[in-house]
Amino acid sequence: MHDRDALSESQLTGQPQAIPAPRDNPLRGLLRGNVRNLGLLTALALVLLILAIFSPTYMNIDNFIVVGLQVSYIGIAALGTAFLIISGNVDLSLGSIFGLCAAVAAYLSLSINPQLALLVGILLGGLLGLINGSMVWRVKISPIIITLGSLTIIYGLVLLLTGGYTIRGVPKDFGLIGQFRLFTVPTPVWVFLIFAVIAHFFLQTTTIGRHIFAIGGNREASEASGLRVRRLVLGVFMANGLIVGLAGVLAASRFGTASPTFGVGYELDVITAVILGGVAFTGGEGNIIGVVLAVILLGVLDSGLVALGVDPHYTYVVKGSALIIAVTLDQLAHERQEHFRTLLAMRERDRT
Amino acid sequence: MTEPQPAASQNGKPLVRCIGITKYFGGVLALNTVSLDLYPGHIVALVGDNGAGKSTLVKILSGIHQPDEGQIWVGDTEVQHMTPHYARQLGIETVYQHLSLCDNLGAAANVMLGQEPVRFKLGPIRLLDQKRAITEAKRRVNEVGVNLDDFQTPVRRLSGGQRQAIAIARATVKAHRLIMFDEPTAALGVRQTRATLDLIRRVANQNVAVIMISHNLDDVFAVADRAVALRLGRITLDKSLADTSREEVVACMTGMLFQKAN
Repeated sequence: MHDRDALSESQLTGQPQAIPAPRDNPLRGLLRGNVRNLGLLTALALVLLILAIFSPTYMNIDNFIVVGLQVSYIGIAALGTAFLIISGNVDLSLGSIFGLCAAVAAYLSLSINPQLALLVGILLGGLLGLINGSMVWRVKISPIIITLGSLTIIYGLVLLLTGGYTIRGVPKDFGLIGQFRLFTVPTPVWVFLIFAVIAHFFLQTTTIGRHIFAIGGNREASEASGLRVRRLVLGVFMANGLIVGLAGVLAASRFGTASPTFGVGYELDVITAVILGGVAFTGGEGNIIGVVLAVILLGVLDSGLVALGVDPHYTYVVKGSALIIAVTLDQLAHERQEHFRTLLAMRERDRT
Repeated sequence: MTEPQPAASQNGKPLVRCIGITKYFGGVLALNTVSLDLYPGHIVALVGDNGAGKSTLVKILSGIHQPDEGQIWVGDTEVQHMTPHYARQLGIETVYQHLSLCDNLGAAANVMLGQEPVRFKLGPIRLLDQKRAITEAKRRVNEVGVNLDDFQTPVRRLSGGQRQAIAIARATVKAHRLIMFDEPTAALGVRQTRATLDLIRRVANQNVAVIMISHNLDDVFAVADRAVALRLGRITLDKSLADTSREEVVACMTGMLFQKAN
């Protein structure tokens, strides 16, 4: 280390190093970035192994397709929420948006072309997301509170529209898209997988993806660097609304109708999956691979416990515990790292 | 680090001029007819007590606040309505005391933020050119005289001095007219302070006008060409450092010997 860094204190040197410096070699960085993903993968493999041993019927393609279908709606919505949380925001009203888009699409299909009704449902999601984003931007208080309000309002709209009942008389064509299967895999699963791949590459390789991380990391700095923060944040809210709307109308189409229970409580499942997937609730950190793994893990836990003959009510206990264990392990690792950095800083201080 | 003579001195044309800037916050007079000319390659130390109006002046120049009276001239044109975005376009940048870095991103991402090299463009979708971003960021960080070898670890893991260099490298990228430092050494140790002051001098040597807000007279006398003291929103001193003394600067900051200093 010659005059590598005019500002660091490392030129003094000559003295033995009491504590080895944490070299940021590429391998280390790779592992650090993906510790959560490796953990999720291990957990998933473990659960599947247990299922393979104790419930052989679980391990077959048909069952996996059923599980895939069960997680696909949560999974699609989780992609949007991952973007939002990485940007330092959140939209709690997603469950209600899901429900309203499903209900509006089903309701419209009574009078207009069913496929057009689905499209309107998706666009409605985008509009609701944009409205939420605008309110969050304008009022400048926690997005949790604003969207908690819209969660309730939009659910009220769902009840008003449906009168509290499943919508009747939906034409058969309404189910064309949702009930379609390609290679025996139904549409919602395809949509989840395709959008997951798109979301992953978008977040990792585009300037907008980079800027979403930047805004979540330091909004003022992003503004000072000339990023159009307002436009980006509104865009993410709208994209989230669109994708939640898409999930909602797919569910409606799949079931051939919509009921007021659609999407109720989804916000909790989605946020659980996103955080379990390694997205920091404070923003700026996370990746789509982790989110997808978490969605799958939660789905496998859900159905696996049933397959094992465990009282299904335990699934809540297990899923909640998985979340707490994951973030606790993360925090412990983080504290250890901080401690290490403290020792390092003390060493540097002692040398000067 | 040699310390070349201040380039151009007062001879060149001012890059940025403030004329009679007055700013009220509600009923409080924050700046009172402040006029200041800023020359290329010239470091102006802006000193003054808390609440003297230093930060307000910097924020007006960077477009965050609008003056109630007065004019800002950039080159030969008067800027009617300065905004942060417009200031950046004009080549006016600010490095704030609390370094505005994105801690979660690497050095390259921070330096290139908002102007990432693109290798493919389709409408609003632009693919990042990571390699070029790193070489470009490396070049820019080297330009401010610092060698850094890891451009991808999140900058929260870097030392205070390295972070400072990244913030300055980012600001200097676009600052071809004026760069303002708000308490650049406030959080730094002795060695790092020294290095940062060298860095500020190097930035100025690229023929950019520099304003440095500082509470530390050692820093002021170490690096600045000119001292401007503000007190209660007024300029109480504007002299080349060669023509003034610590005593006079302190007097003008505190107002104790203001009469005598004149």
